[in-house]
Amino acid sequence: MIEVIQQIINGMAIGGVYVLIALGLTTVFGILGIAHFAHGSISMSGGYITFFLVVMQGLPLVLAILIALAVGFVLGLLIELLAYRPVRNASHINAFIVALGLTMMVEGLNLEFFGHEQVVIPTNLRQVFDIGGVTIPELRLYVIIAAALLIAAMTLFVEKTKTGQAIRAVAENRDAAILMGVNVKTIPLVVFSISTVLGVCAGIMVGALFAIAPGIGEGLVVKGFAVLILGGLGSIPGAVVGGLVLGVTEALAAGFISSAYKDVIAFVVMIVVLLVRPQGLMGKAR
Amino acid sequence: MRLTPRHLIYLAVGIGFILLPQLIAVKYYLHLSILALVWTIAAQGQNLIQGYTGYVSIVQAGFMGIGAYSTALMGLHFGLPVWLTILLAPFVTAVFALATGYPSLRVKGHYFAIVTLAFNLVIFIVLMNFTELTQGEAGITGIPKPGSKDGLINWQDRETYYYFVLAIAALMTGVAVMIIRSRIGQTLIAIRQNEDLVGAIGIAAWKYKLFAFVTSAMFAGLAGAVYAHYQSFINPEIFGVAQSLDAILAVIIGGSGTIAGPVIGAFVVVFLPEYLRFADSFRLILYGLVLVLATIFMPRGIVGVSSDLWAKIRGSKS
Repeated sequence: MIEVIQQIINGMAIGGVYVLIALGLTTVFGILGIAHFAHGSISMSGGYITFFLVVMQGLPLVLAILIALAVGFVLGLLIELLAYRPVRNASHINAFIVALGLTMMVEGLNLEFFGHEQVVIPTNLRQVFDIGGVTIPELRLYVIIAAALLIAAMTLFVEKTKTGQAIRAVAENRDAAILMGVNVKTIPLVVFSISTVLGVCAGIMVGALFAIAPGIGEGLVVKGFAVLILGGLGSIPGAVVGGLVLGVTEALAAGFISSAYKDVIAFVVMIVVLLVRPQGLMGKAR
Repeated sequence: MRLTPRHLIYLAVGIGFILLPQLIAVKYYLHLSILALVWTIAAQGQNLIQGYTGYVSIVQAGFMGIGAYSTALMGLHFGLPVWLTILLAPFVTAVFALATGYPSLRVKGHYFAIVTLAFNLVIFIVLMNFTELTQGEAGITGIPKPGSKDGLINWQDRETYYYFVLAIAALMTGVAVMIIRSRIGQTLIAIRQNEDLVGAIGIAAWKYKLFAFVTSAMFAGLAGAVYAHYQSFINPEIFGVAQSLDAILAVIIGGSGTIAGPVIGAFVVVFLPEYLRFADSFRLILYGLVLVLATIFMPRGIVGVSSDLWAKIRGSKS
């Protein structure tokens, strides 16, 4: 039993990372109908930048994270302006191919600047808590807390602020939103910059918890989309539930079945959900 | 039938392909041409689902892997003749495509692409880890060439294999033309243009989409089988997501939704990296940039651009 609880807690840490990735993907999808496939690779760039600032430049971790977040914010703006805006009115297949091209470019740039060795962001959080036989490393606990805070902040932003309302309005009905005076040119910029910042947070967490290496970003973005399919497209609570379900399933599969096939099991869960509940666990039936 | 410039171009291209081995001095280019023809088969399949039906599938290389491994394993374990395993490989691939296409076609557009990509990841993981069957990363060696040692045709010869692959590529291109010109093909194009409307006039779009997906997988399975017997060696490396992206790139660069497009695209995708001998990371950046710029500025690919040019020239003449 303790083993099971242990794996569930492990799964919550990685699940939190999935949720952060999925939140970015789901807001972008909600507003623009784009499957922003480059999201994972760009998130990993954030992790790489943090690693570079801490290890090569000797900056304190907190400062490095703040710089990485700022870079992520700007990257988000640039991606929307330079890559996605030009294909805004073309068929949706074009936007997806642009996303694929962007992924290849970002992966290539990551390789070029940071090499193909895996990197780990060093933290001084080595303490391990022991609660009734269940061990929780300090770092893992902070990741779970940070993810929870970010999820709460994102939910509040979308639900309570004026900008958040505008974002939801555009997602609901673009034309009506234009008529109500929402500036639909700036909304995508806001969405992309916030999504990328959330992605960078996830990238840093992956870098600190595990390691960053080429290809990790692509794997992560596929997991992010699996979360959306699990939870229901465009739904924030869906992304949270889906992410935790995926993370915990994976941890249990890795712990009790086979770690080589844990990704296969995660995708099997996704396929089963598609077959049984195509609208996702939290999605509304259409 | 009147002879138009178009027919003359086809004739010239056909003769060009037949004479190619005689024109090539460097053996290595013959090797690349064979690879490009293998990719032509896979890209014609990719074009059916991506170019005509409008659904980007990112599992073409994975299906090539299934074709390649099934032909190799059937030969190895059941002692079946090579020509039979090559023929059976697309059908084995079709079974997998049916099983994967049915759930994944429940989601539309981008999400279909993501689900197929997940399948490619799964195929890759299984090929890597199911070592009892696939021998994992080490791969399978000594896959036999078609024909017996003292048969009429010397299959060990690269030139012979070139003509073999050329014949298959031409045949499959013909099959693609037939599918597109048929009622089914027209329905696929209609799905790309307006899927809701297709449903509204009482056509079960999902059947046609599944048909396009499974057929495209069979093209890939055949390409993989031909590849396996050409190289005599396969391992999971060449059946990953990156190679599926190459198939997509080939269709886009060449011209999606055209028959000539995948042929041109396949040759570009195989030959371009050879001319641009950059490091791997640069290749990725360049490919990505080409993909983004091509989608923004020439969404109809090389075929689209050149037919526009042709129309302009003719327009200025008359």
